[in-house]
Amino acid sequence: MADPLRALLALCCLALLTVPASAAPLDRAAFAADLCGDGAAQVRGAEGLVQAAGDLAADDLAFAGGLLGALAERRLACPAEGALLLGRPGAPEGRDALTGATRPAAEARAPVLGLRQRAAVETARGTVALLTGPDPAARVAGLAVLERRIATVPAAVLDRARDAETDAALKGTITGLAHAAALSSPDPARRRAAIAAVAASPSGAAQARLAALKGDPAYSADPAFRAALDAGLAQVSRAVAVGDGLAVFYNGLSFASILFMAAAGLAIIFGLMGVINLAQGEFIMLGAYATYGVQEAFRRLAPGLLDLYLLAAVPVAFAAVALVGIAVEALILRHLYRRPLMSLLATWAVSLFLVNLVRVTVGTQNLQFVMPAYVSGGVPLYADFVMTWNRLFAIGFAAATLVLTLLILRRTPLGLDIRAVTQNRDMAACLGLPTRRVDRLAFGLGSGLAGLAGVALCPIYSVNPGMGSGFIADSFMVVVLGGVGSLIGTLVAALGVGGANVLIEPVSGAVAAKVIVLVGIILFLQRRPEGLFAVRRRR
Amino acid sequence: MNGAVQTALVAPAGPARRAVRDPLVAGLVGLCLAAAAAILVAPPAPYLVNALGQLAAFAILAVSLDLVWGYLGILSLGHGLFFAIGGYVCAMHLLAHGAAVTGVLPDFVQFMGWKSLPAYWAGLDHGAYAFVLALALAGLVAFVFGLASFRSRVNGVYFSIISQALVYVAMLLMYRNDTGLGGNNGMTGFPLLFGWPMGSPGVVTGLAVAALLTLAVVLAGTRLLVGSTVGRRMLACRDDETRLRTLGYSTTRLKLGIWCLSAMIAALAGILYVPQVGIINPRVLAPDLSIEIAVWVAIGGLGRLGGAVIGAILVNGLKFWLSAAMPEAWPFILSGLVLLVVLVLPNGLLDLVGWRLRPTWLRGAR
Repeated sequence: MADPLRALLALCCLALLTVPASAAPLDRAAFAADLCGDGAAQVRGAEGLVQAAGDLAADDLAFAGGLLGALAERRLACPAEGALLLGRPGAPEGRDALTGATRPAAEARAPVLGLRQRAAVETARGTVALLTGPDPAARVAGLAVLERRIATVPAAVLDRARDAETDAALKGTITGLAHAAALSSPDPARRRAAIAAVAASPSGAAQARLAALKGDPAYSADPAFRAALDAGLAQVSRAVAVGDGLAVFYNGLSFASILFMAAAGLAIIFGLMGVINLAQGEFIMLGAYATYGVQEAFRRLAPGLLDLYLLAAVPVAFAAVALVGIAVEALILRHLYRRPLMSLLATWAVSLFLVNLVRVTVGTQNLQFVMPAYVSGGVPLYADFVMTWNRLFAIGFAAATLVLTLLILRRTPLGLDIRAVTQNRDMAACLGLPTRRVDRLAFGLGSGLAGLAGVALCPIYSVNPGMGSGFIADSFMVVVLGGVGSLIGTLVAALGVGGANVLIEPVSGAVAAKVIVLVGIILFLQRRPEGLFAVRRRR
Repeated sequence: MNGAVQTALVAPAGPARRAVRDPLVAGLVGLCLAAAAAILVAPPAPYLVNALGQLAAFAILAVSLDLVWGYLGILSLGHGLFFAIGGYVCAMHLLAHGAAVTGVLPDFVQFMGWKSLPAYWAGLDHGAYAFVLALALAGLVAFVFGLASFRSRVNGVYFSIISQALVYVAMLLMYRNDTGLGGNNGMTGFPLLFGWPMGSPGVVTGLAVAALLTLAVVLAGTRLLVGSTVGRRMLACRDDETRLRTLGYSTTRLKLGIWCLSAMIAALAGILYVPQVGIINPRVLAPDLSIEIAVWVAIGGLGRLGGAVIGAILVNGLKFWLSAAMPEAWPFILSGLVLLVVLVLPNGLLDLVGWRLRPTWLRGAR
């Protein structure tokens, strides 16, 4: 075994490993020689570079990166005079790796990478890319390579990358990875510090990572480690529970907003005319399609303002769907006021017609929407709770709709008329109110609200001809529970149903949630058949 | 004013015996018997026989809804639930029977990786037990739901909405794969019916004849019922429930009884339907399908048992024909038909043949 060659190799290896400690520059010639050497030398060169990379100067890293890239892409030639970088694989001449001088590469050997060597070289390239990548995409790619072999990456590399990183998201990822690497470090103090650091930024992933450490032998052997881990874990669990609670609340609120938007129009129509509008879901769908139409118009006419299409769609969708509603009222429902069950079938026929009309004219595929910045992404607030903009948009939209509708109902002559007819149609007619006209306008208002719901849904749901049927059962439940014709009742019921759905869902599944909510509503109606907030009226 | 059917309908003025002499129902019963005899004597092509049997099953379903909607003013938008209960229990019987005879477990059991049928399938390979179970289950579900609704005076459109939610929830439930009822694929591949291979001409004919005979019996039976004192009480309840209650009748009991009967008739239709199509899946619980039942009744003519039969056969016959011939146009035709009927012919197609001699519906404020 006293092979002098082997001893020499080991010495070289040692030398390379000790280089970073003294922050010496990269021995470029040795590095190039390693890459030109046999498989063991290549691995040694690449791994040595990874170990040293945390302290190397940028130009050294760039040099190493160029060489490693050439090696991986078979553009490295190794004549006796020294490594050559070729322009393309098999080129007749290339640049000297060290001096940059052009030399012929004829007859020179081009090293080929084995499987193990390739892994080492890829890791080294990833390290270089992470540290010197010109743009975040390149650095993300480098990090992705390192992630697979995170145990072999020294902490210094990740620390340096984190400190130099300008992209916030990438910085977070690097931090997480650095913690993960530190958690499995052999140094106990460093591990404890890492536990504290991980616990300081709680998330579900951090919790899982810490929980996994309980199986570590040190947990039973080292009391200090155990105390640190238990404390960290408790802290993270608490924070994650709070964050999850916030997320449930937020989701419930956004679901309730959508329910409210879908049900508000229904409640007005039902309260006023006793008409169950089974086409309400399709009116929502029309609102979404109107939004799509506005988006396409913006794309053609004013591409620069495309991001504003959602806001521009608000009045358009309202007006378009309100017109459709008024047409339906004038053509069909007007004749059916005395026969509510027949008007139910008639609106079902309208919904069938609308779904198939859209299906035939536009197609059945989901519509593609541009997502402006104000409805995409979100801001992480606490632990795993991310406040997503699209849901916030829906919540804000619903709140605005609520305020506007209340203002219309409470503060305008039309609202006065609607309330009068809702409370006592005959008396209102005797006082000279044109009840039929009020009906028509109210139906238009209710339909328009469905159109608005369609706008709010565009950033959240998939928009297709059949989307309306998904809302109809839930929103009717809300109307029945809330009490016919009461907007506040609708709001409370929407919050209740939405909250109950979101609360029960994680425990027992989406279907069970629906079943429980339905049973709850039926039981509730045993006590109050008129719903939560019954409008008082003569019968 | 319970939000019920507001059109004036013929009150059974004379004695019950006269009311039974309903030429429309009598004609339809005769037609059913004649069709059954014709199938037995000179069988046409099997697919025609099968289509006829399916139409008869739909007609039974329509009659069951007309009984509560036309005569009690209760519009159920969830009758598909009872139809599905009958259908599912029937499918369970067919699969259990097949497994007992052939020893091969149904596909979905193997798919779920189970070693045997779930425990609650026990005994379902006996036809009589399955039959009783299907009817009892439908009756029980109807009883619980009806009791909860009628006791608290939930009626009119409220009842319709809640029944629709019920069927919708049932659909979600059946889409789950772990219920032991086939999940979203449903149940299919029935091998045997009482030991006879499924799909053989004899079985097809037998099923169609059974469906036609059942339709005749259901039609005659319900006609007798609505012509009786109970029937008159039903009409009274429909037209003014409060007054009937004030007069000392328990409208809750009346409504509950008829409601459960209607549910069991619907289950009967499901039992007859499933072996004829050879499959059941949660699609039969889609709210749309339950609304369609109401559409058949409305198109045929509400509150005339014969009208329900005519509506069911007409709409489904058209559907069989058109959804194959021009699938794109069928929904438009159906919606147009519904709008035409509710706007122009408030009492359904029976108006066309001038069946209703009293023209009160034209003045028909209520």
